[in-house]
Amino acid sequence: MSCHATGAGATGTATAERSTGTPFVALVGNPNVGKSTLFNALTGAHQRVGNWPGKTVAVAQGDWRTAGGRRLRVADLPGSYSLLPDSPDEALVRDVLTAPAGERPDAVVFALDAANPARNLYLLSQILDTDIPVVVALTMTDVAARRGTPPGAQALARELGLPVVRVEGRTGAGLDPLADAVWDALDLVPPPAGRISAWAAGSPVAAELADLVAEAAGRTPHPARWLAVSLLCGEEPPAVPAALAERAGAAAARLATAAEGAGAQDTDARSADTRSADLAAQGAGAQDTDAELLVAEARYAWAHAVIERAAPRPAGARPTLTDRVDRLLLSRGFGIPFFLAVMWGVFQATTVLAKPLQDGLGDFVSGPVSGGADRLLEAVHAPGWLTGLLVDGLINGVGQLLTFVPLMIIMFLLLALLEDSGYFARAAFVADRLMRTLRLPGRAFLPLVVGFGCNVPALAGTRILNRRSHRLLVGLLIPYMSCTARLAVYVMIAGVFFGSNSGTVVFFLYVASVLLVVGMGLILRPLLFRDMKEEPLVLELPPYRLPTLRVTGAQVWQKLAAFLRTAGGIIVATAAAVWLLMAIPAGAGHGGFGKVDVEQSVFGTVTRATAPLVAPAGFGDWHATAALGTGLVAKEGVISTLAQTYSADEDGDPKLTASLHATFEESSGGHQRAAALAFLVFILAYTPCFATLAAQRAEIGTRLTGIGFGIQLAAAWLLAVGVFQIARLVW
Amino acid sequence: MPSLNDSRPGTTVRITGIDPGQAGGSRRRLLEFGFVPGADVTVIARGATGGLLVGLGDTRVALDSRTAGRLRCGR
Repeated sequence: MSCHATGAGATGTATAERSTGTPFVALVGNPNVGKSTLFNALTGAHQRVGNWPGKTVAVAQGDWRTAGGRRLRVADLPGSYSLLPDSPDEALVRDVLTAPAGERPDAVVFALDAANPARNLYLLSQILDTDIPVVVALTMTDVAARRGTPPGAQALARELGLPVVRVEGRTGAGLDPLADAVWDALDLVPPPAGRISAWAAGSPVAAELADLVAEAAGRTPHPARWLAVSLLCGEEPPAVPAALAERAGAAAARLATAAEGAGAQDTDARSADTRSADLAAQGAGAQDTDAELLVAEARYAWAHAVIERAAPRPAGARPTLTDRVDRLLLSRGFGIPFFLAVMWGVFQATTVLAKPLQDGLGDFVSGPVSGGADRLLEAVHAPGWLTGLLVDGLINGVGQLLTFVPLMIIMFLLLALLEDSGYFARAAFVADRLMRTLRLPGRAFLPLVVGFGCNVPALAGTRILNRRSHRLLVGLLIPYMSCTARLAVYVMIAGVFFGSNSGTVVFFLYVASVLLVVGMGLILRPLLFRDMKEEPLVLELPPYRLPTLRVTGAQVWQKLAAFLRTAGGIIVATAAAVWLLMAIPAGAGHGGFGKVDVEQSVFGTVTRATAPLVAPAGFGDWHATAALGTGLVAKEGVISTLAQTYSADEDGDPKLTASLHATFEESSGGHQRAAALAFLVFILAYTPCFATLAAQRAEIGTRLTGIGFGIQLAAAWLLAVGVFQIARLVW
Repeated sequence: MPSLNDSRPGTTVRITGIDPGQAGGSRRRLLEFGFVPGADVTVIARGATGGLLVGLGDTRVALDSRTAGRLRCGR
């Protein structure tokens, strides 16, 4: 089924044409107004998420089964502040709602936050310009009621001239009346285009706008009133008749001049003085945006008038409990310590708290599960290679995947809790200054911090970023955050080569990790994301709320399932593949399949062949490249592979220490400490593990993951060579 | 003319205009959030790393200090 209903709705013969298909309803509203909760309540399990055709914006769509067995198709369009778009998400909403006649939705359900009516009505005034039938779903009435007298549904309906239904997404109250209102709206014949919008009536732009709408009507497949006003605001929509664009430009210029001259006669003397002063200060160069200012003023004046008549209430912001908490949590003395404490808590939870669960699951798989499978296969006299493939390959791979599960649950749970409680917006505000160097929003701080624990949940955490370009850039940077799996390698190698100074070396690697992230960000942003400009912070801070378990739990489960689906297969397959390479002998006479020494396996042959590549970094030895090879699968494999290739024990075996010294001494030409440091820098900078690649692919796509993989190997090689060549002068 | 940045927490001021600033910039977003001439804005708190938390009716909006500095106000 196509994503646009065709033929129905906008032409005025909705009832007749709709028999050909299911009506298409767009769910629209500001961010944080309970829109997605409403969508879930409307569609239940009948929904799917996917990119909108031709766009990179993910949109959830679903079936809304209403009373009487009738169905509506609903799309949950991204939360949006305006039809004058500021992000790809908002551009999608504009494109869907202002598409040529016949491709537009048959109706809009507008989620209106009763606790925040003015800004919501601003967007509604823009949507009404598109001539699509609108039904208002009044949300958040409980929050609004706590703050005083919220506008009621009936009063709003009277003032707006639209159906208004009070809904409660969490309990499902009001959904049936909402469906009835939508069906009624679909049967209405829309009023003829060309009339003046309610918000514009009586404003300084009314006459010019009416003129432009008359000019546009019938000459464009797009909504005439929307087209006229967006031209007036300096937008440049495609395929606008030249005459119309010219007239709009002239009208905007006249409005700017008039506003400048007539300011003093404005009825509101206080704002009039200052407005003309403001316009004079801007000079003639900013004329085209002055019409935009007049339009914004007119829309807000209309919104305030509607609220005033629907629910008279005292003006001005009264301090709320949230305000009092914010005065403390954002204060200079307490704000940064609290922010750091929260980040520390997130870090602890994804490392310390997750560790026993991970170990437990890992031990369970490598112990009872593997042992049971072993005995079972033995009992049925399975050949050795099959046992190896199933137990050491597949079951081991599944075990590796399972150890990520508690980590991901904790990560998703924390993200949901932070977001739903309202603190996350505050954290973004506090970190804004810091992240500005990379032109990233403050929210990017969290996935990066989590990356110190484990890159895999950190990548999943990039979803909290609203812009795709931000998600992609952070997704490319996360692998350079030094995770705890790498720490184990640092401690072991540094202990062997640097003795009592190993603490300093490990610290140096963490500093290098942060520098690498910043440096890579500064290099990659202009290369890959040229259009990423420094953005002003204008961020809505929602009131603090207690997250509800049901909503949070559902979110966590959805995201975990998606992770297992997209990354699970790759993680298991690569673990099995590496086992296979180690099991296949590279030639005759090296023992049979599954019985060969690592050195004589295909894996050993490959790592021996690649050793000369890293010779300039001082560790061109097959033991080292074999360790780096298994380190690609998981960093935990580095030490065990070194031990295995030297036939030594993993923990503090003097044979392992002596062998490492001998190998690095030889490969570096007598500069073994320089080579060891280079090896550690390589471990820091190259691909952390295949699970990270799989998670990266799920978040940023195959192409960018491939590019990122190439950059990681190149950066690791260059840095390792640089470190070795410089350090050998000293050591 | 003073900017919003000059206002102390706890005070309410009236927006009189927005400095144009660089091309594109934040002007449109500010207008859309309701920072239109004539709107009353209450400064709630100053951010720990700079910037302002302001109240616009029941909405709470965080602004970086440069953006807050572009909002002209009087009372």
